[in-house]
Amino acid sequence: MDLSSKILGVVTLLYVCLFFLHLVYFATKKEKALKAVWLLLYVTFGLHTIGLAARWIESYSLGYGHAPLSNYYESLIFFSWCIALILIIMRKKLNAPIITMCAGLAALFFIGYASLSPSVDRRIQPLIPALQSNWLHVHVFTCFIAYAAFAVSFLCGLLYLFRGRGIIPSGERLEEINYQSVMVGFPMLSAGILTGAVWAHYAWGAYWAWDPKETWSLITWIVYALYLHARFARGWKGTKIAVLSIIGFASVIFTYFGVNFVLSGLHSYGAS
Amino acid sequence: MLVLSFIAASCVLGTLVKQQAPPEEYLAQFSESTYAILRFLRLTDVFHAPWFLLLIGLFVINLVFCTIDRLSRFLKSAREKKLPNEKTLSAMSQAFLLSGTRVEEVARLFKGYRRAGVYDNGQVLEKGGISRYGVYVIHGSIIVILAGSLIGLLVGFQGYLTLAKGQTSDVAARRGAMQAAIPLGFAIRCDDFKVDFYPNGEPKNYMSRIAIIDHGQLVKEAEVRVNHPLSYKGTSIYQASYGSNPVFRLSVAGKEVQLTQGGVYRGDGLTLMAVRFEKSVHNFGPGVQIAYMEGTETKTTWLLRDVPAMREKEIVGLPVRLDDINEDFFTGLEIAHDPGVWVVWAGFALILFGLFVNFYLYYRRIYLLQTPTGVLVAGTSPRNKDAFKQEFEKWRERLNGPK
Repeated sequence: MDLSSKILGVVTLLYVCLFFLHLVYFATKKEKALKAVWLLLYVTFGLHTIGLAARWIESYSLGYGHAPLSNYYESLIFFSWCIALILIIMRKKLNAPIITMCAGLAALFFIGYASLSPSVDRRIQPLIPALQSNWLHVHVFTCFIAYAAFAVSFLCGLLYLFRGRGIIPSGERLEEINYQSVMVGFPMLSAGILTGAVWAHYAWGAYWAWDPKETWSLITWIVYALYLHARFARGWKGTKIAVLSIIGFASVIFTYFGVNFVLSGLHSYGAS
Repeated sequence: MLVLSFIAASCVLGTLVKQQAPPEEYLAQFSESTYAILRFLRLTDVFHAPWFLLLIGLFVINLVFCTIDRLSRFLKSAREKKLPNEKTLSAMSQAFLLSGTRVEEVARLFKGYRRAGVYDNGQVLEKGGISRYGVYVIHGSIIVILAGSLIGLLVGFQGYLTLAKGQTSDVAARRGAMQAAIPLGFAIRCDDFKVDFYPNGEPKNYMSRIAIIDHGQLVKEAEVRVNHPLSYKGTSIYQASYGSNPVFRLSVAGKEVQLTQGGVYRGDGLTLMAVRFEKSVHNFGPGVQIAYMEGTETKTTWLLRDVPAMREKEIVGLPVRLDDINEDFFTGLEIAHDPGVWVVWAGFALILFGLFVNFYLYYRRIYLLQTPTGVLVAGTSPRNKDAFKQEFEKWRERLNGPK
């Protein structure tokens, strides 16, 4: 086994530890445990970053030399990394440990699925010509940060349905976090779509071709645009907004996974 | 909002049914009557259907009017920067009283804030005012982007072109068969084509050496690679794909014969046709399927280049040997002309600016009211209550500090 896989294996274990540390916090309610949670998250994220970097370096030693953003396995690992990153970015706003726990579990799920599922090819593969572009980095980065932010928004929406019970914070708190994460995700998704369009112009000859991935990212964008308008122009609150953020994330999931496996198109790189 | 939901719904339809495929493909998937319905509703080409364009038109009209309406209301309210009375201010969630000081002194301490209104009994300060215009920039740039794409739709074109080495063409084919070719106004000649492969056989890169000939004059020579198009007179030439035309070198009864795919050889009472080329026949390397006439019957057989026993066969009593297969690569170029693309780029830049201003900056307002005992400081931020609360706490500490 190569170094990057070993590191990512350790990272997976650390995400498991993160979950148990959250449980310790909920059981003891000690501030120290919460501090330890964040410390562990920083360490895990740091090691996760090193794992990605190691894979990048290994691709050079294989003679391919590309960022680990090129196939399904790498996208899952990267998605997991983005979830951890968004938690760190939004730390000040995320004063609800239940959300860091659930998001940490999501990160664990994606990295675990990537590392263990027999249907995921984990080899470093060469980069096909269309993907050999610097637009790859900025396009994938913006899109996945947006997906991760929407994942947080989704968790808030889902938890909202059980608001105020036990360790779940109040409805207003969840609504505010939900909104803050869409504030991060929406501009990022827009930037992702735009960089994708510019890249498509240079790689495929048209900035918009109604490719299923493009179309679904537009659908996702429209759903979150509706979310923002419903909140500001119509003053929607509570359950309606929570449901919209759940619909929005369902659309994200379909854009990410559904399009790869159900529909075919120019974006089919991610499926193998 | 309703229109936007409809657009989203039609986009979903547009991805569920495969778009712009040939009729045969639909008939394989759906029954004939279902296909007729799909065709009638233009569900086979949603994004170019009149009703979809109509929906976008409605959306634009909606967007323009909503934005103008909102902007006019906003401008009216933005001009009014009244200082609320003491009761309203102390009821705000962010408010505190600084005793024994004057409004002017406190106002000077609020660095980074702009004086939006000065009154006898107090002042209104604001910061991040630009963020309130972000939403209009975003809405405006969506219209710019759509206008740019309309220009592309009206005067642009998109086609493709396949050229073998040495071939020249001054027209591009349109996607979707049965449509007239597009004259380019100049000619493109393919001087060379190269593919590099990874060790595992996947293509690493492919590139064409292209010459542009305008009115009989060679005006430009360049290399076109994937992701690196060439532009001439507003028309862009992209490396999109490649393919190969195999040429089979056979010897039929000692005579050398060259056949392309589908090519027929007649001689010595023998009729041969190269029917099919396979890069790898059951992992035994490249081969060609030959069809021949035996009496009145048509028969076929495979000749494999790399398997000695399968290289030479006796066909109707004559020895036929496959000496080699030359693959002549041809290049597939995508040709696009879109004068609207710069408008779209401008729209993109504008929308990114608008998004940044709207989502990463925020507007807040501070009210300072002179009261008999001191200065009442109150503040609001409609969009980012959390961050403002933190900021306001800092102001409270700083202003109270010296005492």
